Amino acid sequence: MVKYLLLNFFRSKVHPIGLLLLLVSGLISIEIGSRFLDRTVRVSEKTAIHQQESIARNVSYFNKGMGDLMYYLRFGLENETPRLAGLSIGQRDVYPTVQSLTVRNLEEQRYATDLVNPLFQLLGNMDFSFVLIYLFPLVIIAFGFNLISEEKEGGTWSLIRSQTVSPLTFLKIKMGIRLGSVLSVLLVLLVIGKFYLAIPLDLPFLVFGLVSVLYVLFWFALTWLVVSFQMNSSQNAQVLLSLWVLLNLLLPAGINVLQRWLFPVPEALSTVIQNREGYHSQWDKDKEPTLEKFYVKYPEYRDFVHPKEADFSWLWYYAMQQAGDEEAATEVQALKRKLGERLQLAKSLSWFVPTVHAQLSLNALSLSDLGNYLHYLTALEEFHEKLKAYFFPKIFGNAPVLEENWTGFTLEKFQDKAHFQWVQLLAPFGLSILLVWVWARFNFRKSGIYSDQKHAS
Amino acid sequence: MIEAKQLSKSYGDHLALKNLDMKIEKGEIFALLGQNGAGKTTTINCFLGFVSPSSGDALIDGISVKSNPQESKKALAYIPETVMLYPNLSGIENLAFFSSLAGLTYEEEQMKSFLSKAGLQSTAHQQRVGGYSKGMRQKVGIAIALAKKAKALFLDEPTSGLDPKASNEFSEILMELSKEGTAILMATHDIFRAKEVAHRVGIMKEGQLVSQLAASDLSASELEKLYLKTI
Repeated sequence: MVKYLLLNFFRSKVHPIGLLLLLVSGLISIEIGSRFLDRTVRVSEKTAIHQQESIARNVSYFNKGMGDLMYYLRFGLENETPRLAGLSIGQRDVYPTVQSLTVRNLEEQRYATDLVNPLFQLLGNMDFSFVLIYLFPLVIIAFGFNLISEEKEGGTWSLIRSQTVSPLTFLKIKMGIRLGSVLSVLLVLLVIGKFYLAIPLDLPFLVFGLVSVLYVLFWFALTWLVVSFQMNSSQNAQVLLSLWVLLNLLLPAGINVLQRWLFPVPEALSTVIQNREGYHSQWDKDKEPTLEKFYVKYPEYRDFVHPKEADFSWLWYYAMQQAGDEEAATEVQALKRKLGERLQLAKSLSWFVPTVHAQLSLNALSLSDLGNYLHYLTALEEFHEKLKAYFFPKIFGNAPVLEENWTGFTLEKFQDKAHFQWVQLLAPFGLSILLVWVWARFNFRKSGIYSDQKHAS
Repeated sequence: MIEAKQLSKSYGDHLALKNLDMKIEKGEIFALLGQNGAGKTTTINCFLGFVSPSSGDALIDGISVKSNPQESKKALAYIPETVMLYPNLSGIENLAFFSSLAGLTYEEEQMKSFLSKAGLQSTAHQQRVGGYSKGMRQKVGIAIALAKKAKALFLDEPTSGLDPKASNEFSEILMELSKEGTAILMATHDIFRAKEVAHRVGIMKEGQLVSQLAASDLSASELEKLYLKTI
């Protein structure tokens, strides 16, 4: 039976064209991913070179005092892009790959990009995850919507039912062929992607593949459910396309709106303003309170003092920069918390929306989600502290500039790790697939073409 | 071989079948006549298991369709009014596919012989069914029934839309099958054909079998008169 169903499947023009369409768009998406990765590599290389050149140039101009020089010097921290991000670019195209920091105040430097960027689920690159999430379901719908109705409408159903003791087995095999063909294309694309993008064969990649397969299975299960109602072809197509719009456009957009409504981030702007105000106002104030605050935060620098009656010292300058950061500290915490809450909300709601769950999971696995960006923000904070801890004693002690080994300050990298919990990752798919499967089973049972049933009722 | 026992089927208030009793022996051809809506198709559907009776039972080779639909289905074959096949498969592939649904596999030579026996010219065996005429598809339908080697054969207006020659060939095949012991139940509007082929003729009206008679007892025109009087 399988042989002839396969023959019939491939001899109809629709199916090979659908599969080819998926393959071609998948290949294009991999090429887009490859260009994205090339760009990040280029940015990283150029930044590394630029950093070295810029340090060398500044050292040649400002070699009298460390405080003066450190005003200008920038040190980069790259948010390392895993190769897997070539398959799921996520928000990597919005957030910067490298941030270069001076030892001056952090908050003004940290967000040199769009802050008000809620989870971008609607638009974005035509990367592999786009092809998987948006295009695969359309082909699955096209393959499965008339699974039973084409037999009824084509007049073959009565002959089939009279020949086989289990029409359901026949339908399962028919659906299985469609599932097999789509999964084959998916696997071919993943293998091509793996080699073309030089993705290491590690756990995140394998889990990425697993999530993709589960997502395809979900859409097949949903199609199976819709055909189990045994409506006619056009009704099935309407219902399935409506579900596609609901799951892929309306619900993600709804979650997006809900995120922004529940967790607005006015702090995105006010952080920067407060930070600027925080240190600019210091010029007009007494220097002692500013320094006292600085000593509270960093008691190790108490031995360095601001010369009495002096208008300026680098100690005071960097202390007032620090004051700016502290001024904005609560706002910064609120911002990070709210962005985290947005992510958490999306994650919680995605239990009920497998399409969103797929998008979030793929982005999380390829470190291109908001979670990774938040980790990177924290890493920047630590990086900034590290720079200060190293240079402050030298600035305040006025260490000779030329004795420092400046070539050692290369571009540093922040390497995030994909964190996932198996239950959280797999259960939303497992549950939704199980639910629609059981529902479909109930429908088939009721309709009387269920094979195990003794008699139609 | 084919037996209905007080078979009834109601759709809401409408009684499509009323306590139908009938028995068709091995090798016997029984023609069911009746107007549209008289219950002929419902009767056949009860035997096929497509429709579950409200009361009574249908038996095929002594097996109850109600309590053992899987076994009873193995013993029957069915040729619908219009045999529809997969247009992208050839005649022989369609035969192989529908046989495989019933769990049967045949060598190509055997399948060719079924198709030839059903009257399909051998040049058409390998051609795609998309280009077949209705008569040719009907012949593949017969070949599928032949390949199933069923003890009971059900036909729902099998000759409607066939040209006289194809219709005649069809009748010959039915008579041959009956000689080999197949019990045949055929619903038809074709009184002449019924008289020609069937051993017995039954006339249905409003879900009941109102008269049964041996086909040899009457001429075709007498049968037509009886039919018109009955309905």
